[in-house]
Amino acid sequence: MTSNYNFAFLDENTKRMLRRALLKAVAIPGYQVPFGSREMPLPYGWGTGGIQLTAALLGPDDVLKVIDQGADDTTNAVNIRRFFARVAGVTTTERTTEASVIQTRHRIPETPLREDQILVFQVPEPEPLRTLEPREAETRTLHALADYGLMHVKLYEDIAQYGHIATSYDYPVLVDGRFLTSPSPIPKFDNPKLDHSPALMLFGAGREKRLYAIPPYTKVESLAFDDHPFEIQRWEHQCELCGSDESYLDEVVVDDRGSRMFVCSDTDYCRQRRAEQAA
Amino acid sequence: MMLAAFAHPVFDSQRNFRELLQAMARPIAPRAMPVLAPAPAPILPASMAALLTLCDADTTLWLQQPNDAVAMHLRFHAGVRLVQDPADADFALITEPASMPPLTMFAHGDLRYPDRSATLIMQVDGFRGNAGKRFAGPGIRDVEQLLIEGLPGEFWQQRAAMSAQLPLGVDLIFISGQRMVALPRTTRVLED
Repeated sequence: MTSNYNFAFLDENTKRMLRRALLKAVAIPGYQVPFGSREMPLPYGWGTGGIQLTAALLGPDDVLKVIDQGADDTTNAVNIRRFFARVAGVTTTERTTEASVIQTRHRIPETPLREDQILVFQVPEPEPLRTLEPREAETRTLHALADYGLMHVKLYEDIAQYGHIATSYDYPVLVDGRFLTSPSPIPKFDNPKLDHSPALMLFGAGREKRLYAIPPYTKVESLAFDDHPFEIQRWEHQCELCGSDESYLDEVVVDDRGSRMFVCSDTDYCRQRRAEQAA
Repeated sequence: MMLAAFAHPVFDSQRNFRELLQAMARPIAPRAMPVLAPAPAPILPASMAALLTLCDADTTLWLQQPNDAVAMHLRFHAGVRLVQDPADADFALITEPASMPPLTMFAHGDLRYPDRSATLIMQVDGFRGNAGKRFAGPGIRDVEQLLIEGLPGEFWQQRAAMSAQLPLGVDLIFISGQRMVALPRTTRVLED
């Protein structure tokens, strides 16, 4: 651990500001709490919101896992893991079951989470209504009035144009029946894992300077219509490495003649299954 | 002579925050404050630990029973601004619940920014499981039951009135000895 920085990089005033905001976020599930986002040693869009939340959470006894699209070994995940190993000296892991804090970009692990784990999401755009209404003052008012008709119209237009709701990621949810919330760009396949999760889930958007939370055992509904209920993605394939037919699959091009294979997006889940099969 | 604060400010406040966060995320379930802080009367060491973990020069604090030793201690160790009017407070410390002002006196936030609301730290007489009111809501898997001893008589009526204003409201952290229980605004009190 380098000693040129405070523990976990951020100064204590910043951590206290984040911690106060996190407590309010947990107390008002799904509501976006503004916070003073700091400049981090990596650009916006690389998880600065998630990193600041993780820095406010971490202690020396924590075990940190970082995933990017389900994988532990992509550039973003490797860098963030190495960053916290350096500035906080924490143990890192690739095993979901061993981690006390998991920072994630765009996936929820396939392995069910436990009550003693915290999941931190990196969020590019915390406002689910932003593409429909660009003015922050106006979206604040819509949240204040719980006026979410715009989003229902958007989903309806999907049905009118495509015959089904075409939104496949960042699929809007209603948290505790009150706040319309972005689940971050996770595939809608992961949305059911948000509902009544045993683990606390925290969301940080560094560029947009907002954080929010979904407490454990909280009702999280994906928006839908009675005649067009919410559905998750399904594949005709199984993972070619571990054979799973219930995990989220990535389609990988394997040569220059267009051959493809489908593999689990969650690399730890896939590895554990293969280890079990080999044993 | 002035008392000390945390022996290890960085790590002690981190450990306390994690328990406070879990307490707020899992309302009504009692938890222990991991690291206590020396405190002048009438503040309990666990309440002082919460204040030192969360308060600094960016926050305001209202004390129900202010005295010179307490004010000097908090100003020195936290740099927190003490306010006279409960409505101005980000945090409030209630050391004698029987004579506390009504919940409506504290900041409830506004509809666009419900987070601009007070967090009350209340020192109560004790917690008893399997008795008292039953609670449900975010963070509670089924139903939790807890008797919080030493609350003023009108407390639950005031809180019920506040719940009609959601998402506005105040969030509470009850302290008894080393134990703490959180009651965020979204926790629902079930009818008996």
